[in-house]
Amino acid sequence: MSWEIAGMSAICALGDTVADIHGALCSGRSGPAPLSAFDTSKYRAGAAYEVPDRVRPGVEEPLRATRWLVRVVREALVDAGLPEPEPGWPVLVGTTHRELRTAELWWRHDGVLSPADLHFASALRAAFGLYDVHTVASACAASLYGLGMATDLIALGAADTVVVAGTDSITESSFGGFDRIQFPPPDTIRAFDRSRRGMIMGEGAVAVVLRRGGTHPGRIHGRVRGVGMNCDASHPTAPDPAGIVRVIEEAHERASVAPDDIDLVIVHGSGTLQSDLAEAVALRDVFKAAEPGPLVTAVKGGMGHVSGGAGLLNVVVALAAIRTRTLPAISGLTDPIEEAQELRIVTGRPATGAFGTAQVHAVGMGGINAVAIVEGAAR
Amino acid sequence: MSAPAVVRAAITGVGWAVAGPGFDPVTELVGRGMRHKDRSSRFAVRAARRALDDAGLLGAPELAGAAVVVSSNFGNLDPVCDTVTTIATSGSTGISPMRLPQLSSAVSAAWIALDHGIRGPNLTLCNGVSSGLDAVAAARNLIAAGRATAALVVGVEPDSPPVARLHGETAGTRWLDGAVGLVVEPVRHAVDRGARIRAEIGGYGRAGDERSAVRAAGATAVRRRLGDEATARFGRCSGALGVVQCALAVERLDDEAVLAVAGAGTGESDGTSVSALVLAPPRGRDT
Repeated sequence: MSWEIAGMSAICALGDTVADIHGALCSGRSGPAPLSAFDTSKYRAGAAYEVPDRVRPGVEEPLRATRWLVRVVREALVDAGLPEPEPGWPVLVGTTHRELRTAELWWRHDGVLSPADLHFASALRAAFGLYDVHTVASACAASLYGLGMATDLIALGAADTVVVAGTDSITESSFGGFDRIQFPPPDTIRAFDRSRRGMIMGEGAVAVVLRRGGTHPGRIHGRVRGVGMNCDASHPTAPDPAGIVRVIEEAHERASVAPDDIDLVIVHGSGTLQSDLAEAVALRDVFKAAEPGPLVTAVKGGMGHVSGGAGLLNVVVALAAIRTRTLPAISGLTDPIEEAQELRIVTGRPATGAFGTAQVHAVGMGGINAVAIVEGAAR
Repeated sequence: MSAPAVVRAAITGVGWAVAGPGFDPVTELVGRGMRHKDRSSRFAVRAARRALDDAGLLGAPELAGAAVVVSSNFGNLDPVCDTVTTIATSGSTGISPMRLPQLSSAVSAAWIALDHGIRGPNLTLCNGVSSGLDAVAAARNLIAAGRATAALVVGVEPDSPPVARLHGETAGTRWLDGAVGLVVEPVRHAVDRGARIRAEIGGYGRAGDERSAVRAAGATAVRRRLGDEATARFGRCSGALGVVQCALAVERLDDEAVLAVAGAGTGESDGTSVSALVLAPPRGRDT
């Protein structure tokens, strides 16, 4: 069974369309910008990958994650030729921070908060009449969890069309929490590099319209072949390569693909010491018999770590790479870690070629993992 | 949305971690393994352990293939708010590194998985008032989709200064401070291992209004309805509501099906959606 991606849209620090984001990644654009709304005297790091859309620079606004979500859902529906969705279509929103940024402002007496602000049903119902909205908060694997649950809903006959999304705005608490443990603060995200120093938060939103295979009359962007989701259950914060190997193997099994069928991998690649190491070890294990093995890249050096939306952003970038035959390189990577040396890491310039099938990772705190296998529309 | 029940699933265990005769938070929320956990996670791991124990699955090797589904709206509100207070007074260097995992809304589910070696999907739902019933339905879907051999569903809402302030600002006077756990597994599996089936999970529906949700659940003929009992007993249950409702229904289930509705009526509603779920008495093995 496969599922068709009929529409898609995204916004992050690099741009507000999938094509622009992919283009920016391919041109090597990267690098965080100075923090625009937080009190920089409170942190050692001074930069993040923010969406530069505040009306007045330096003045924080509530409900930004909700605003981006509504926008990308609208654009994805229009892109699919379905601007007026049926009210009962499920919407699965993956998010790490929900509207906790708005809660922070409320707590600091800079705004209001209602309990319904913390999830996304009221905004999507008001905008589109959609009521079956699920706020999936499975850490930074959340939007790929949403994608997996969407494939299940269609496979089980509960729906033919599902909107899957991710959205996150940077919270002061998590920015501060990572600032506490990452010293000196990283200047950029250097996935798989020996000199990597950690993760820098990004923000944005992404949405896709997923339909039962064969039901969409128009053009599609690609297909989801299968999604694996699991939990390491081995350590509170450090990822476990064994858990990542298991979730990759589960995704392959669900997608009915073998390691040799995978043309490219977009890893989670958060640039932290342990997470990159665990992913590299897992990839080496899974693809040890594949010849030549897939190309491997990461996008967080360009767009930052967009938390719960990160996995689905990897998916839309993978589909753009397949369509344009251009896979962006890992920015900031000059000296790969030993564990990654047998992998076909894309460095320097984008890799070009006829790609068919992509594997996409999301590795969340708490050992929560998800892996999706997607393919281009041409197959 | 209404999901056809392609796999019959049942509730085989219930665990309460709510202040009362069987649970004293003062003694239960401390001790081994509790020190670095937030209040939500402390309640959640206690409820999870009790539910697994009730189902006879504590320590069972088959838990490796199970799922965890946590439902909560305010679970990590306190760690997040407390951290911004810390940042305002002493900057990021004043934050304890132990706080970091607590900033994730998924932290309670991750702790439960770690506690019992549960390596299947680890899902946290924050859907508002309907979230608890949605979580039970999601657990059944994970089982039906072949992703989990069983699922541990936990509804948790901890009390804290931000939670109290939020309820106070929205005319709330009482609210839950605790967690409830349910073990959900395929009927066939429960029968095979000789487990006691407490209730079978029937139709589920979600809609924009109550009548449509009940219809989507195929429950218009179900006469017995769990009213606003959970809210009357514990105050606002928020993300834990549906799980509390299922636990109450299981306790008093006789030979008649019971309908739970979350997000409507005089109890709790945030005006966004209504979910309905039918719990039926055990039918035995006939699949």
